[in-house]
Parts: sequence; C-alpha cells; structure tokens
Amino acid sequence: MPEMAGRRRDFWWSVTVLAFLTVLAFLVYPLATVLGTSFTGEGNRFVLADNYQRFFTHRYYYSSIINSLYLSTLATLGAVLVGTALALAVVRYPLPGKTFLRTAANLALLSPPFIGAYSWVVLFGRMGLVNRILGTFGWELPTIYGWRGILLVFIVQYFPFVFLLVSAALRSVDQSIEDAALSLGSPPRRTFRTAILPVIAPSLTAGALLVFMATMADFGTPMIIGEGLRTLPTLMYGEFINELGGNPAMASTLGSILILVNTTALMAQRYYAFRKAYNVVCIQPLKVQRISPGNRAVLTVIAYAVVAVALIPSTTIIISSFMPTRGPVMYAGFSLQSYQTIFHLVPRAIANTFMLTTMAVLLDVLLGVLVAYLLARRRSHVHALLDALIMLAYAIPGTVVGVGLIVVYNRPPVLLTGTWIILLVSYFIRHLPYPVRTCTAMLQQIDVRVEEASVSLGVPPFRTFLKVTIPLMFPAILSGAALSWMTTIGELSSSILLYSGPWATMAVAIFTEVFSNHFGTASALASILIAAAFVPLFLTYRVLGERAALGM
Amino acid sequence: MTRVRVEGIVKRFGDTLAIDGVSLDVSPGELFTLVGPSGCGKTTLLRIIAGLLEQDAGTVRFNEDRMDDVPPYLRNIGVVFQNYAIFPHLTVGENIAYGLKARRMPPDRIATKVAEAAKLVQLEGLVARMPAQLSGGQQQRVVLARALTIEPRLLLMDEPLSNLDAKLRVQIRALIRTLQRELRITTIYVTHDQEEALAISDTIAVMDRGRILQVGKPWELYLRPGNRFVADFIGTMNVLLGRVEGPGQAPGRLSVVMDFGERWQVQATGTPGQPISIGIRPESLQLLPGGNGTEAWNALQGTVTEVVYLGPVVRYQLRVAEEIDVTAEIHNPDFSAIHAVGDRLTLWFAAGRAVGLPGEAGRA
Repeated sequence: MPEMAGRRRDFWWSVTVLAFLTVLAFLVYPLATVLGTSFTGEGNRFVLADNYQRFFTHRYYYSSIINSLYLSTLATLGAVLVGTALALAVVRYPLPGKTFLRTAANLALLSPPFIGAYSWVVLFGRMGLVNRILGTFGWELPTIYGWRGILLVFIVQYFPFVFLLVSAALRSVDQSIEDAALSLGSPPRRTFRTAILPVIAPSLTAGALLVFMATMADFGTPMIIGEGLRTLPTLMYGEFINELGGNPAMASTLGSILILVNTTALMAQRYYAFRKAYNVVCIQPLKVQRISPGNRAVLTVIAYAVVAVALIPSTTIIISSFMPTRGPVMYAGFSLQSYQTIFHLVPRAIANTFMLTTMAVLLDVLLGVLVAYLLARRRSHVHALLDALIMLAYAIPGTVVGVGLIVVYNRPPVLLTGTWIILLVSYFIRHLPYPVRTCTAMLQQIDVRVEEASVSLGVPPFRTFLKVTIPLMFPAILSGAALSWMTTIGELSSSILLYSGPWATMAVAIFTEVFSNHFGTASALASILIAAAFVPLFLTYRVLGERAALGM
Repeated sequence: MTRVRVEGIVKRFGDTLAIDGVSLDVSPGELFTLVGPSGCGKTTLLRIIAGLLEQDAGTVRFNEDRMDDVPPYLRNIGVVFQNYAIFPHLTVGENIAYGLKARRMPPDRIATKVAEAAKLVQLEGLVARMPAQLSGGQQQRVVLARALTIEPRLLLMDEPLSNLDAKLRVQIRALIRTLQRELRITTIYVTHDQEEALAISDTIAVMDRGRILQVGKPWELYLRPGNRFVADFIGTMNVLLGRVEGPGQAPGRLSVVMDFGERWQVQATGTPGQPISIGIRPESLQLLPGGNGTEAWNALQGTVTEVVYLGPVVRYQLRVAEEIDVTAEIHNPDFSAIHAVGDRLTLWFAAGRAVGLPGEAGRA
C-alpha cells in the first residue's frame, strides 16, 4: 500500500512527524551542539580550528586517538579472527554440542564490557584470586592492566558477536555453491576464498563494524583496567567532568572526532555491504566435513576452550558475588554478605535501573514498531532520512550523547539535567535502532498482500495493522525488545555523565564500587545485572526458538 | 451482479506510464481476463479497480456507482492474490471468517457461513488447521473461500494459479470456473498465461505497455487477431510479408504477391501496391500430397530444417526463402506425414485461414 501514503495527513503522517521531532530533539540537536561547541573558544566566540589544532599538537590529547584507533583496530581484527574461526569450526566440522556452543556464545554477550574488565581484575588484578594463588608459589603473571588487558577484554567480549553473525551467514550458504566451485577445479582453500567468503562478507564486515564502533565507544573498560591510558571516550569524560572546571569545548572536540570516526566506519561498511550483498537461496546448507578423530578431538578442545574463556567474566562475577570479601580481597567460602550490603546500601539504584530500563524499552518498542512500519511500507526520501538518523544513534558513543544532552538541556526552558528524564531520554534514543532493525527486517519478509487482503475484506488500514501486521511482527518485536533491554540495563557511558544524586543506576553503582575497591558489592550488583539481562533473552528463546531470537 | 466500467484510467509511477488511458466494460456475471506480458500494467489495473492503488485519471464504476473515492475496505470486493496472502497466524476457519467479522456478523451466522464456504472449496475437516499445515493448493482454496464468503460485488484474481504445479493449476482453474458460474459473480482475472486465459475466460483483453490492444471472446482473439502483438501473444503465428496486387477472386479477398514469390488469396483489405503482413497459424498449414489447385487454397514450398515429433503432433520448421522460416504443425500425423530434415515439401492452407495483420507491415 505504499501508494496510499502521503495522500492525506493520516495517522502515519503524525508518526513520521513525531519520530522526526524525537530524533531531532534528542539526537540531532545535541550532536549538532557538540559539533558546534567544538568550534567555540573563549567567551563563546567562533573559532575555526583552535580546538582541533590543540588536539593534534598536544601529545596529551592526540595520544587518545592513537590509542583508541590502535586498540579498536586490533580488537576488531582479533574478534573477527577468533569469531570467524570458531564459526567455521562449528558450522563445517562435526563438533559435539553445537547448540551448547551457540548458547554459551549468546550468554557471553550478556555482561556489559566494563563488567568483563572488572572480572579480569578480580581474577588477575593485583589482589586477584589467581594472582594470589600463584603468588603463594612465588609465581607472577604479566599485568592485566594497560592496553594488553583492554585488548584481551575487548576480544573476549566481542568475538561471540562475530561468531553468531558469521555462523548465521555460513548456515545460509548453499552447498551447491561449494560443489560448483570444486567441480570447476577450484581447490578447497581457493573455493573458500573465492566462493564462500564473498557470500558471508556482508555479515563478517557487519560484525567487524559492530566490534569497531563498540570498542571505540567503550568508556568503562579503559577506565577500569587502563590505568590512566587515555582513549577518546575516557579523555572526553575527563575533560567534561573536571574538578578544576570542565572544558566543554575540548570535550566536544573529542566527541566530534569520535562521531566522525564511527560514522565513517558505519558508512564505509554500509556502502560495502550494499554493493556486495547477494541474495542467497539456501536449500541445502553446507555439508559438515569429515575429519579424522584426532583432528576432531583437537578442534573440539580448542572450540570449547575459546567459548569457556568467553564465559569466564560472567562466571567469575557470579561466583565472586557469593564469596566473603574485605575490600578488593576475596576469601574462599560462601556468604550472602555482599547481597545484604547492596540491598541495604543501594536499593535505590536497583529500582532506578529496572524502572528506567523498562520505560526506555517500552518507548523503544512502541516507536520502533511504528517507525519500522513506515520504513518498510511507506518508503520515501523523508523516511530514508529518518532511517539514517536513527542508525546514527547506533554509531554515536554514549559519552557523546551524554555530553550533548547535558549541553542542550541544562537550562530552562527545558531543564532536564539532574532528573531521571535525561537518563530515560538517553537510553530510549540510543537503543531505538534495535527494535527498528528487527521489525523492519521482519516486515520485509511479510508479504504486503497479506495486509491488502485484510483491507479488501473490509478491515480499514489501521485496524489491519493491529489485527494482522502486529501479530505477524510479534517475534521481531520480542527480540528487538530483548536486545534493547540487554543493552540498556548495563549502560554506563552516558549514565555516568547524566546521573545525579538519587538517580544513580546499577551500572553507575558497580563502577563506583569498583573504584572504591568494594569488589564484593560490585560483584553482587553485576550478578543481578547479568541475571536481569538474561531473563528476557531466555524468554525470547523459549517463545521463538534460537534462530528467531538471533534475528538481529 | 455487477457491471464494471473503467473509463480513461491513467497511472504513472515516476516517469513511467503504467496505464495509458484504459477503458473497459465488464458485463455482469462474466469472467473477464486481462492477459499480457509481465509489466504490461494488468496487475496495476486490477489494483486500481480494487482500490489498493489510486489512479491519476479516469473513473471506475460498479454498476452506476463511482468508486474513485471509495476506500478499498468499503468496496466489498474479494481479492485473490498470486502468493495466497493467507493470514499465517489464523486458522483456516478464522481466515475464512475474517471478512465476516469485519462486517460484525453474529458468531452463529459466521460459523454457518464458514462451514458453507469450506464445503464449497472442498476444505471440510481442515477448518481448525493452521495455514502452514496446508499444501499450496489448499491454501489457495482457503483464500478463495475467504474472498467468496463476504459475498463480494466483484471478484478480483491476480495470477491465482502461478504458484501451483501444473496438475493443481488445472484442478483449481476448474474449481474457480465452476464456482464463478454457480455464484454468477463478476470476475476480473489477471494472468500472463495465454493458455490459461483461453481456457477460463468469457472475455479476454490483451494488454501491452499500459494499453488494451484487443478485447474479445477467446476464439475471436485467436482466429482474428487485430494486430501483430495479439497474434504473437495468443498462440503462435507465422507472419509473412507481401504486397497487395489487387482484388481477389472472391468478395472480401485480396490477391497478394508474397516476398518469396508465391501469389496468394487472403482474407484482408488493402489497396494495390501496399505492403501487407499475412498471419497463418502453424496448424492451418497442411501437407496435402500434390495439393489442391483451386483458388481457395494457397501454397508455399520450403525445406525442412527441424522436426519435433510429439506424438499427437509433429512440428516442422521450414525454410521458405532466404531468412524466412515458417512453423507447421501436422496433427494426428500418419506415416505419410513424417518427413526428415532436408526434405522439400509443399504446404497448403485455406485462403480463409490467412489473416491480414494491419499497421505493422514491414516490421519484423
């Protein structure tokens, strides 16, 4: 029914306007203000390049972009290599317990990266469990702190993404493609490179992009184990929140550079994937290849070891949350002491987190479903622009969004700083892309004629949307909501800027506890966070089955 | 019963003219088929009649009612789509009841009507099933029942058989035809398959590039195609070029000198010296030993270049002259009608079986 759009100012016209106003007010305007602020000098005067010149001439500043690019590039390479290798092993070779491996990879995604960083400190930090045990034998491990540690955390945190994306892509390759290449005389290695790799390349690059953008944006990991290593987000935070009086202009300059780097990466991948996307029809999935029992055993051990490493962070957190602790030191034994402490100390943060996350997810789903319908069914230039703007939210680091929101909404008539609303706004706008993506993808698979059939049978378009379209979109709505929920509940990078006094969230509380060396309470809070992220994913699985839940 | 009148419909998509001023008059109770190659505008026209698309100009009338400003959900038409458009989240019964519920019919009436409709399309016993448990043919029957049970003024069908295999296609085609006759419901049927169009229709309209080229009974289109496109699209036609010599030996006939030298008597009009295209169906050509020299018969000679023996039919390709080939189909061929590549044959056809195809002379 795309033709019926724009005919009159109907309900969908209002949705378009509302979506635009929302995105403009909460994303475009704050980001534009950040960009604008990066061009201001003393006394709000316009300066063309002062801040940028300062950035690129002072080592203190420019080292941050070098560190960030260096870490993100290496982390992306590492995650892509590990993730793709694991995907190939699981899809193409007869490993036992493939469903288990996939489930484990999914579970590894549940904890936010800064919690992963913290878990490695629990194990290998100065007072770490493993280090103390080894210390009794007089052994010493290389330090977990610094860029090596960050890299480890990033790769362990993000390779499961690549693994899930690439294995889904591999499972959509038809065996006939490989057979054809082999029958034409192409040896196996060349066949992989020339016939299979190009087909999975869009998914592989999508995974790489995700890792790159997420690691560029990550604020918590370098803060926790960077030991002063400056990255763009941490330096930006430091410049903005400075006890000696913040420097919004420099923070905005750093923010603008982050925006530029991430949107460039996003556009490069979109352009590539757009040109290289093939429609594959998979009737006969790729055959599992035969290997010798010895090789099979070796491959199995490696695959399980890799997945086990990915599960170390959440396992460590949950176990350590039940251990008696004093400061950063944990003792063997079982205790609920940490849980008692948090329910006594920060019940408000727990309540805040659940309230704000629930509200943000509900809003995301509500607007996401409507916007997805517009994007899929009423496509126009206006909607293409809306699509691009919403995807922008996906690319912009939380630190930048946080600074933007503060700069714009810190004075009347719209004073949001200091309230819970500003946290809600940030959560809502940053995670809106998830339901929009899952629902748009789903709508593209639902035949428009089903809706037209309903209309022709006498049900007006909007009631058709409620009675036919929404029920058919249900799986996508559910998985979009689960993804939004998972990513919102542990959100740190904008929360740390936007929270105030009573409106701290669990992520903020964990971060503060880690910095005050209260590892027990940090673990208990993080365990609750992981469990809370797990429940919706688990339910989605139960309702939809594995494949549909990973529809993203 | 509804008479559908379409007048001067124009529809543009961007710069392309999808429908270029189409007018139609569909008689009450008939099965009217729009046939044409893909992209000819037939589905667009159907969607305009359904109200799913809005025309740029022109009117659609059901009997005396102008439908142009009536939204699709108030037009009371049944639509059957190519890929079923079944509601996958509803049972067969709920699918059939969908339109009745929208009409706020009491539940017991709905139950009766659903049972009736299911019986009509031979789906009794499957009412509680989900669509995913049905075969393609069964799904299409659900959709048919769903469209019929609302007692629509008009039934619109957009390539309803194209997703079915050959055997089911014939079955469902027969079912559609039977139901349509029994219920005497005006039906507009869209297909790209000329054979399907011939088999099912009361009236056929041939469309190309947004225009209607010819409207008529199936046999009228086949035997007297109005132009080269219709001649080629409906069945196979040998088209040969010649020049009018003068009036023929019988009224309504012309004497024509063909480009390859033969002199023929054909059923056509024209002025002496004018170029003319002559169409002959492959099955009109006969192999009569020795031939028949009366003025009612025309002859042509050719060399066999290809033989396809199909049992009931043997199909020959013959080279008549440099760059000029004809196809001949000999039905029920006996041993005497079997020839080999390279044989030189004389083919005959009755003068009344050659049609002049106007307008396109000189264009291959």
